[in-house]
Amino acid sequence: MSALASDVGTRTAVAARDLVKVYGKGDTAVRALDGVGVAFAAGQFTAIMGPSGSGKSTLMHCLAGLDTVDSGSVHIGQSEITRLSDRDLTKLRRDRVGFVFQAFNLLPTLTAEQNILLGLELAGRKPDQVWFDTIVDTVGLRDRLRHKPTELSGGQQQRVACARALVSKPEVVFADEPTGNLDSRSGAEVLDFLRMSVRKFGQTVIMVTHDPVAASYADRVVLMADGHLAGEIANPTADSVLAALRHLGA
Amino acid sequence: MLKTTLAGLRARTARLVLSSIAIVLGVAFVSGTLILGSALDANLHNDFARQTRGVDVSVEPGRSSSGSADEDRGGISQTQLDQVRAVPGVAAADARWGAQVPLVGANGKAKSATVSALEGDQRLRMTDLQEGRMPAKADEIALDATTAQTAKLAVGQKVSVLDQADKPVPLTIVGTYTQGVSKSSLSGDAAVLLPSALAPLAKEHYVGQVVVAADQGVSQQQLADRISTAVGGKLSVKTGEQYTVDVLKQISRGSGGLTQFMLVFALIALVVAAMVIYNTFTILVAQRTRELALLRCIGADRGQVFRSVLLEALVMGLFASVLGLGAGVGLSAALQAGVGSVFGGSKGPVQLPLTVNTVLIAFGVGVVVTVLSAVLPALRATRVAPLAALRSLPDSQDEVRRTSVVRMAFVAILALLGGGVCFIGLRSGDSVGFIVTGLGTMVLLGAVIALGPVIVGPVNRVLGALPRLLFGVPAKLASANATRNPKRTAATTAALMIGVTIVTMITVAAASGKESVTSEIDKQFPADYLVTSAVREHPLPTSLADQLRAQPEVQTVTPTGSAEVKVNGKSLYLFGTPADSLGKSVQLKQSQGDVSRLGPDTLLLSDSQATRYGLKVGDRVRAGGATLTLAGTYSNEDQSSAIVSLETLQRIAPGTGYRMIMIKARDGVSPQAGQAAVEKATASSPIAEVASGAARKSDLAGRVDQMLMIMWALVGLAVVIALFGIANTLTLSVLERTRESALLRALGLTRGQLGFMLLIESVLIGLMGAVIGVLLGIGFAKLVVSALSTDKLQVGFVLPAGQLAVMLAVAVLAAAVAAVLPARRAARTSVVAGMAEA
Ligand SMILES: Nc1ncnc2c1ncn2[C@@H]1O[C@H](COP(=O)(O)OP(=O)(O)OP(=O)(O)O)[C@@H](O)[C@H]1O
Ligand SMILES: [Mg+2]
Repeated sequence: MSALASDVGTRTAVAARDLVKVYGKGDTAVRALDGVGVAFAAGQFTAIMGPSGSGKSTLMHCLAGLDTVDSGSVHIGQSEITRLSDRDLTKLRRDRVGFVFQAFNLLPTLTAEQNILLGLELAGRKPDQVWFDTIVDTVGLRDRLRHKPTELSGGQQQRVACARALVSKPEVVFADEPTGNLDSRSGAEVLDFLRMSVRKFGQTVIMVTHDPVAASYADRVVLMADGHLAGEIANPTADSVLAALRHLGA
Repeated sequence: MLKTTLAGLRARTARLVLSSIAIVLGVAFVSGTLILGSALDANLHNDFARQTRGVDVSVEPGRSSSGSADEDRGGISQTQLDQVRAVPGVAAADARWGAQVPLVGANGKAKSATVSALEGDQRLRMTDLQEGRMPAKADEIALDATTAQTAKLAVGQKVSVLDQADKPVPLTIVGTYTQGVSKSSLSGDAAVLLPSALAPLAKEHYVGQVVVAADQGVSQQQLADRISTAVGGKLSVKTGEQYTVDVLKQISRGSGGLTQFMLVFALIALVVAAMVIYNTFTILVAQRTRELALLRCIGADRGQVFRSVLLEALVMGLFASVLGLGAGVGLSAALQAGVGSVFGGSKGPVQLPLTVNTVLIAFGVGVVVTVLSAVLPALRATRVAPLAALRSLPDSQDEVRRTSVVRMAFVAILALLGGGVCFIGLRSGDSVGFIVTGLGTMVLLGAVIALGPVIVGPVNRVLGALPRLLFGVPAKLASANATRNPKRTAATTAALMIGVTIVTMITVAAASGKESVTSEIDKQFPADYLVTSAVREHPLPTSLADQLRAQPEVQTVTPTGSAEVKVNGKSLYLFGTPADSLGKSVQLKQSQGDVSRLGPDTLLLSDSQATRYGLKVGDRVRAGGATLTLAGTYSNEDQSSAIVSLETLQRIAPGTGYRMIMIKARDGVSPQAGQAAVEKATASSPIAEVASGAARKSDLAGRVDQMLMIMWALVGLAVVIALFGIANTLTLSVLERTRESALLRALGLTRGQLGFMLLIESVLIGLMGAVIGVLLGIGFAKLVVSALSTDKLQVGFVLPAGQLAVMLAVAVLAAAVAAVLPARRAARTSVVAGMAEA
């Protein structure tokens, strides 16, 4: 499968043009994003990689409408989101975007099931029971649904978070180092699930990671350095990613 | 370690300042009360000082050798005064005496005024002239400034007083004055006349004191000795110095009551403040678990951790005490202004005496309460394992789900103790029983507070049901948050619960008391209207009864009278009532003989009076000019102790007049028309005062309500502190849930919903405290009311549902207000920043 966003016939799920994000002012100003332009095809699993501080998380926050940009534009589907009000952004997050963070993904007061359904409830949408069952079975949490997050392992917690991100059938799922806190086996479970959601259900997933092995699950790797795009790898393997990263000097 | 603590203090300044508000308010209450007490003392001091100023020697009637105060009513005679004046070295000597005299106001109605004889010598006067001058002639009068103001009289106007035959004596007001504390200055009216003008007005001329000013060069002691010799041993003579000392002794008894009353409420406020502080430190320690564990990892020992938390409390206590003391000064000033306006007239300038004692107590209370409240949390801090630094703690949950055996045992002990004390109190059935029961209920309150963490969950489930149904996800989350840490919620709620319980208790008890007293008035007020004399010593003229009977609106007129007679050498107050009033307005419980009839020579006595005078049924006694036969005795003590028929009374003591006239209006006469008719018939008599049961009831209800308002205001402070506690807990919770809030926002919770969620959480916490408090308060009031109930006075239980509903509504509203700042803060934090928070 071709991984180029410009490919004819491939719909673009998320696109950024000339994104600039500056933290601080004057001498201490940091250009976290310095004119980033990138597009992510629908139904593809993309990994963003780069050295620490290169702007990966910032890019993701801006793409997802969690943070404002200083200039440039972001499109999710047909909608330009950089000019949306807080209320509209909130609605966008409810209906069209799913998130998986590195940690603290779940509300400790709710059970796994309640956590999975939380986003739908906030949007006031009824869960699709068949879809819910499919996801729960795919992540293998059927017997853990009534447990509180503190009663789940780190890997299980991340899988619950993935299930929640997928259950609302969002246009795109953003994941910021979803396996950063996990051992390699738990990490593999989460990554398997994400890849399966792309392959089986046509989900679009954009994931930030440091781990070349994790990146090898993706269809495409986008490399970043110092707030710029620094190349990309189609159909990555752990070795090709490692080589590219060495080349970047990370 | 000190450096670390101080750095921590600086980092947490905002939280600590917020938490210390509770202590600031508590300290402000205590110090404000103490300052008010000192100020009242100082005022009293000034007032009393006037009484003693210029007095070199005070002469008072000596204690008679027989010791019976009853017989020695002689006072100081004119001869004795002349003897004192003749002593060499006496520059001036004046008698101090006064009498109750009816003073006719601008409305033509008389009010009893305490009229004092003016001291002849300028130096010996205890009054300060405000306007005009003091009387110099017999037809001149000077009025107390407040009296003049309330009676709307001014210098230059004519005024009259009534002589003993109730004939008006015209006088000219020549001056107004302010005076010292003599009994009259706070209550009732006062005026000054020349002694020669006062003498014919007064029923008795009892001189209780002669004050003496000494010549130059004569010492107080010398003069006192000389006077003592001159008047013999009959009078007690003391120097001005000694007199001042004696007078000052009275002061300490004077103002203590109010201060103690207020300190009780200050104590409640402090208990609540302590709970808030305790809770705050518990939360702070829990939130700092990782930080403390890290300290332990790098080598801090348990003692150092303990001391660092206590040191934080100490600094906070000191800081809060300073602010509290300042606020206390302000509070005291406001209270004095308030007291001045409540009791009418200006009571002099606001004084703010700040004694060393007050300062020490304020600091003591502030620091000790804060440090003590922090001891338990500090101990808990020492138990933090170094390993905790490595665990990820998304939330400062301490082991809360377990209901420990210790807790339940503690609850059981408190409940048994409280129940036992209440039982004892209910058994003893007098005013002590009432206080004991009250204490018992407070112990029970303690039991409920200890039980708190266990009941928070179920109560929250019940209370949260409706919001969950109505408001969906935010309410569901709020309800879950409200009990995620039951101990914390319970402690927050408990502070509010204490205040609400006490307020409810007072409110329900007051309503019950009001109800039973009004029904008591109904019983004791068989008539529609009562006409009484405004001046105790002046009975109503008998002609009034006929004038009243002449009114078409009036159905029956029942006069009663009283007179003092000598029986077996002891004085007895006879109560005269129409013979046919027995069994109607006068209801007797017969114990011996026959108390159902009043013949011309019949005397009825209460059992205790019969015993006192050594009389049996059938005995004949001489009273005045008549011989009476004791026909029966009765056991009720709420009636007059000796009863004869009105005709008999008039025969024994002719011209005594009536003490009271009871009037029943005809059916269909409106209360206003009846009142007008009675007022018209009594207009001619300046001393006649008309009262109606309805007016008496509303007057009483008004006074109870006013008292209630004061109590509400006093307990209100504790409630305010508790609300700060809620705001505080919420703020701390919001801080600790920053990540969670950010996550929720990322998942699609709007800013508004996030704020709303906190609002509901706050209202739920507030409701828990208020609902449990109201229920407890009602139950406790029921106990206290039945302890108050005696055979004589049955106090029924009344539930002022309206007032309680208002209270609940206010609590909910206040809890919502308490959530405003934390909610805004939570909503303001951006999603990305929130996620970045460790
Ligand atoms: N809130 C902020 N204020 C100031 N500077 C910031 C802020 N957030 C990020 N930065 C800076 O922006 C740059 C990019 O940060 P970003 O978090 O996107 O890096 P990253 O690629 O995600 O790094 P990592 O792999 O360590 O997570 C960094 O230099 C960082 O210091
Ligand atoms: Mg990052």
